[in-house]
Amino acid sequence: MRNAIPTAALSEFVNEVAAAPEEAIMDYGLEVKWQSGTRAISETKPMKVGPHQVSRSFSWTSDEPRQLMGNNHGPNPQELLLSGLGSCMMVSFIAGATAEGIQLESVRIDFDATLDLRGFMGLGTNSTVGFPEIRYQIHVTGDATAEEFAELHRKSVAHSPNAQTILNPVHLNGDIISTRIEN
Amino acid sequence: MTNPKILGDDASLPPASTKGGWLNDLNRARAAGPFLAAHPAPGTGPSTTAVHAGTHDDPRTGAVGTPIYQASTFVLNDGQYRSVEDGFARDRFIYSRYGNPSQWAVQEKLAALEGAESAIVFSSGMAAITSTVLALMDKGAHVVASSDLYGGTFNLFNQEFPTLGMSCTMVDSYDFDAIEAAIQPNTQMLYFEAITNPLLKVIDIPRLAEIAKRRNVRLVVDATFAPPVAMRTLDHGVDVVIHSASKYLNGHSDLIAGVAAGPRKLIDMIWPRLLNYGGSLDPHACFLLERGLKTLAVRMRAHEESALALAEYLESHPRVQKVFYPFLPSHPDYDTASRLLKNGTGNVTFFIEGGDAAALRLVDALNIPKQATSLGGVESLISLPFNTSQATFTAKQRADVGIDPGCVRLSVGIEDAADLIADFKQALTAIYPAKEAAHA
Repeated sequence: MRNAIPTAALSEFVNEVAAAPEEAIMDYGLEVKWQSGTRAISETKPMKVGPHQVSRSFSWTSDEPRQLMGNNHGPNPQELLLSGLGSCMMVSFIAGATAEGIQLESVRIDFDATLDLRGFMGLGTNSTVGFPEIRYQIHVTGDATAEEFAELHRKSVAHSPNAQTILNPVHLNGDIISTRIEN
Repeated sequence: MTNPKILGDDASLPPASTKGGWLNDLNRARAAGPFLAAHPAPGTGPSTTAVHAGTHDDPRTGAVGTPIYQASTFVLNDGQYRSVEDGFARDRFIYSRYGNPSQWAVQEKLAALEGAESAIVFSSGMAAITSTVLALMDKGAHVVASSDLYGGTFNLFNQEFPTLGMSCTMVDSYDFDAIEAAIQPNTQMLYFEAITNPLLKVIDIPRLAEIAKRRNVRLVVDATFAPPVAMRTLDHGVDVVIHSASKYLNGHSDLIAGVAAGPRKLIDMIWPRLLNYGGSLDPHACFLLERGLKTLAVRMRAHEESALALAEYLESHPRVQKVFYPFLPSHPDYDTASRLLKNGTGNVTFFIEGGDAAALRLVDALNIPKQATSLGGVESLISLPFNTSQATFTAKQRADVGIDPGCVRLSVGIEDAADLIADFKQALTAIYPAKEAAHA
């Protein structure tokens, strides 16, 4: 099976969705629970693939390095953001390659990004709070030409939900439900 | 030299891959099958379908009926390699654990009988159940099932699920509020039996289907006790129907097999589990099953005729306390059965005076029914839940699920009703002391 993806099933799913758009709607949920200090546990909630409920029994720990008042017990939120971005770009790249009939041998995406914490700290400077830039390199071996891989790279970013979420304004609508504890 | 012919379903072609294209350029859509050849249905009636659907005369010799393709492996060509590469190996012949023409023929017949796009036969009903359930469940998933499940399925849910990080809540299949309340955010499936064993409860499947659809979970139904002809389970909104084909579908008590049928999308998800768990059906067993299926409709009519007549006789017998047969007006689910079942079956459960000791004497005194477990064969089979299917229960546990002492589980074959009635009459007379019988 090319790249361990069943192209026929991928094609059938694409054609199914063209006729039944509700099958393309993915409902995700995640809960982040504070554990201690800068450490938190993320747990996936059951999701919906189209109109079908699917169990997602996964959890992981995030933390900050000791230098940032943490205990270094897990990747930090910036690394998890890059992970979410990179693994989504990876799915997009692999699916696109498979659809084109490109056999891949290896793919590695190498990310680097620099953050100026003065924004987080509220120190009055012109620095942004978030990443001003994310740099990456895709190292790929497979049976396509350099031009074909370049075009695949372009399209895989254009169709990656997480890349597009980062590249475009997104509504972040939150509420707070608070309980005051009387001392 | 490579054979350029398509060795498999020639309607199934690889998706065209377009250099520089994206996913929306993929042009292969899902279709029913896989089929040996284009084979338009010669009719719509259950008997015509049972005889003709899926049966493919030998194209080389004209021999009538599907040949037995007793081969473990197939000569490969570029087309088969391509099917592996592009992920549609289910539509080509490669190796008999993946697929075999004898399997395809009987699968097509079963799919036609159930009104399904696709079907897979397995080496047993439990292989079909395990492969189907595990195909539709993920890590941490939960299933809501009936509390009176077949013991093999109960063991899968009770013994294997915790090991796999899955869980099950078992509820009374009459209690729709409890069924709905048991659905959790990680529930992926409702799993029920169309007719339960041994009390022959007829489950209101359309109501289950409504709940499943509204709550976004799949509905899987084991319809072993309600084969097509009696009920087309998928017509009532079920996602996947499963059978132990060893019972009514084959009908001759001479093989072990199972089947799962439903939309191509879901059956294609089950197929990799057939490969991984290895429950493939041998070609010779496929031939026997296909041959058995040809008479399904006439057999089911004969089962109903004899079973109903015998059930009516038993109900009138003074030593018989209760009789359960869905087409008896006294059956608690008579209305549901009248609505859902187009044909009766051979299963009759009854309770006699004198408890399990009397029931043991009865099965020994009968001449026609074989004292054996299983059901759905042309020969009548009789067994007692207390020492077979519910032997691990205590008497109280049995009573809690309605299996009171003196419970007899009978699968009426296709023997003549008059002979069966005469046999039960002599046996019931023989097992009770003559003096008491005079008072009866």
